[in-house]
Amino acid sequence: MRWAVLAALAIGLLLLALYPLVATGYGIRFMLQLFMWVALAQSWNLISGLTGYVSFGHVAFFGTGAYAGAILVTTHGWHWGPASLAGGVAAVILALIIGYPCLRLKGPYFAIAMLGLNEVMRVLVSYFEGLTGGGSGLSLPTLHASGQIYYAMGAAALAVTGAAHLLITSRVGLRFMTIREDEIAAEAMGINTARYKLYAFLLSAFVPGVVGGLFARDQGYIEPISVFPLLTTITMIVMALFGGKGTIWGPVLGAVTLFVFQELVWARFLYLHQIFFGAIIVFVVLLMPRGILGVLQERYRLPRTI
Amino acid sequence: MHDGHLLEIRDLSKRFGGVVAVNRCSLVLTPGKIYGLIGPNGSGKTTLFNCITGLERRDAGEVFFRGERIDGLKPHQVARRGIGRTFQIIRVFPELTALENLLVVTREPFKVAHRRAQELLRFVTLDRLENEYAGNLSYGQQKLLEFIRVLMRDPELILLDEPAAGVNRTLLNELLAAITRLRDQGKTILIVEHDMKVVMGLCEKIFVLDYGEKIAEGPPGVIQTDTRVVEAYFGR
Amino acid sequence: MGVTITPTMVGQVVISGLLAGALYSMVALGLALIYGVMRVINIAHGTLLMLGAYTTFWWFRLLGINPYVSLLVSLPLMFFVGMLLQRTLVARVVEAPELSSLLLTFGISIALVNVAQLTFTSDVRSVEFLTGAFLVGPFALSKSRLVAFAVAVAITAIAFWFLQKTKLGKAIRATSQSSEVAMVCGINVHRIHLYAFGIASALASAGGSLVAVMVAIQPEMGQVYTFKSFLVIVLGGAGNYPGALLGGMLLGLVEQLSSLFLTTQLSEAVAYVLLVLVLLLRPTGLLGGRAT
Repeated sequence: MRWAVLAALAIGLLLLALYPLVATGYGIRFMLQLFMWVALAQSWNLISGLTGYVSFGHVAFFGTGAYAGAILVTTHGWHWGPASLAGGVAAVILALIIGYPCLRLKGPYFAIAMLGLNEVMRVLVSYFEGLTGGGSGLSLPTLHASGQIYYAMGAAALAVTGAAHLLITSRVGLRFMTIREDEIAAEAMGINTARYKLYAFLLSAFVPGVVGGLFARDQGYIEPISVFPLLTTITMIVMALFGGKGTIWGPVLGAVTLFVFQELVWARFLYLHQIFFGAIIVFVVLLMPRGILGVLQERYRLPRTI
Repeated sequence: MHDGHLLEIRDLSKRFGGVVAVNRCSLVLTPGKIYGLIGPNGSGKTTLFNCITGLERRDAGEVFFRGERIDGLKPHQVARRGIGRTFQIIRVFPELTALENLLVVTREPFKVAHRRAQELLRFVTLDRLENEYAGNLSYGQQKLLEFIRVLMRDPELILLDEPAAGVNRTLLNELLAAITRLRDQGKTILIVEHDMKVVMGLCEKIFVLDYGEKIAEGPPGVIQTDTRVVEAYFGR
Repeated sequence: MGVTITPTMVGQVVISGLLAGALYSMVALGLALIYGVMRVINIAHGTLLMLGAYTTFWWFRLLGINPYVSLLVSLPLMFFVGMLLQRTLVARVVEAPELSSLLLTFGISIALVNVAQLTFTSDVRSVEFLTGAFLVGPFALSKSRLVAFAVAVAITAIAFWFLQKTKLGKAIRATSQSSEVAMVCGINVHRIHLYAFGIASALASAGGSLVAVMVAIQPEMGQVYTFKSFLVIVLGGAGNYPGALLGGMLLGLVEQLSSLFLTTQLSEAVAYVLLVLVLLLRPTGLLGGRAT
């Protein structure tokens, strides 16, 4: 049974790896964005799905990575690959600075603080015009690298999903989950919840930072409002939720389903796009808070490690 | 060990706003005994537990464990020094399986921890439920799980907060037998309990709290006839 | 900076701050009610304000009705809209984990904003009604701000009178303290939730009607007021209704004062930085609210 799953996975990955050879430009960009959303949803899952701390400003890491990467490319002539990785590091540094005080806050306060943080980052980026181009945005030198970025985004999505797998099937991941289940009991049992929360938070910040850097390169132009929008945070949350937060494949499933759906809707009903999305959010929150995999786990007693 | 004392509490005080929950409480536990902590509702028993285990910060006084001062430490640090506790309201990890509830609290290598966990599960006949989510277990089963979870870390001092609450006769006898066995292995147990039969039958020494103050201490026989204790429970 | 700051400038700014603060207090009181009574974090609060602004705009544009008089219509209207939203959607996330209420109210928000974009278009609107300022000594008091201040104070005063003196108001406060105890005391908690959300919507929309005369009206205008309301609540303490008053005034003052010393961009940041700082240093608010 396990071999079948692994074989299917391997074939899937192979197909994805070969796809750019036969795909159109649109197809590559479509998949590239899909990978990005998988990476984002899965990263959010690492902190909020596992520890239960709702990061409601997670796009702040994406935006930070985007700007860090873009600045390194434009001002210092870095190649976008290392620049994106540096974006990830920048995001982790940000997470370290604010994670330590913020993670001491209780549920709603943590969520609002993260929300506020995102806005602070957006305004700070706008302010330091000399560095970031401020409100007029930042343009990167023209480069047609969709194909390479496809693989980079794919690698990011794979890496973070791999991390989710490692965590959710290990005792470290279990410890993250005890924070969600009962933080007081976890502490009483000798688990240093403050440290584990921070680890989860740092881990969850890295890939959005990298992916932000890649996004900046791919778009060729970024501005504060395009990389720090609340809508992006909400989207990654709803994707993780829809597929099933706290699971390994939930965020992947959610990202794929919702992204495909959104592209279809966007193509047909451009102006109703946001209403549809609002309706999906309401639907997921009210009717499927456990997500697809969550419901399957309950109904068919599937293992937790799916 | 400090004068042979395992746990020593000196003049511990804790208030919540205007309410004094624990008032200059002092007590001493020597190893290898079963102790009881009783008192009317609101007398500060759980608060005392919380102060010992670091869940609450005491306002005054000191707590020594094996001669080392532990007040002011964080709960996980207290736990790592060898004090385990259960809670008045059961706190298992509902979305983890019974087995995972046990594995997650120890850092020992997987094989060792796994074997220990299965032993403990068998000990309380929960072994066939090891892959069941803890949240799906019955009240009594969760209570047992919480109990053996504490034992996973092999603590020297075990604080039990109302272990008999809501538990049927058979289960209770199993628990009491387990507690006695732990004592025979050299562990020290402090039990908060309202069920007087359990306390008087099990404990070798009992502390009585009333309005946060220790009003009596001694073996069951002495406590039962202490006028102050009777007054505290039944009024004047 | 090259510009010396005179006491007059500071005085002017303090006055402007207090004038604006009353508005923030009123709007934030609504948010406080929703969180206090239902433990719901209402991200759609600014959207309700936006709807109030548009109501006033259309009354003015189509029927020529005085914006301040249109409050008599928009307040009850938005009260019912609020109750409708509560009954159909918000009721289901009462006292739920914060993620549920955050997401739900966000969903409501973008749906409403989108509807506004479709029906009202994204063109920027304005209500040209009360322009100019009174000159009192060295200070210039914008007429519209003054009236907004007066109306906000009046509405807030009525709201507090209501909360303190009426049976329903007391029931609301009781439910804020503990919905379980309230239920045991025979209070129909579901009814309370309805009214609380209705009142909160009315308060938010009143804010919208008042700012309609002063700022640009567009579907996305609400978001910044949502954030400011959050900040007010955080400053004053969650669930602390008088705290919302203090928080609002404080925000107004801080905003205006910082615009004196910092660039406009940075003064925008001040609100957000303040939010994060207060949360980190004193999450229960300056006056002390509930910790959870």
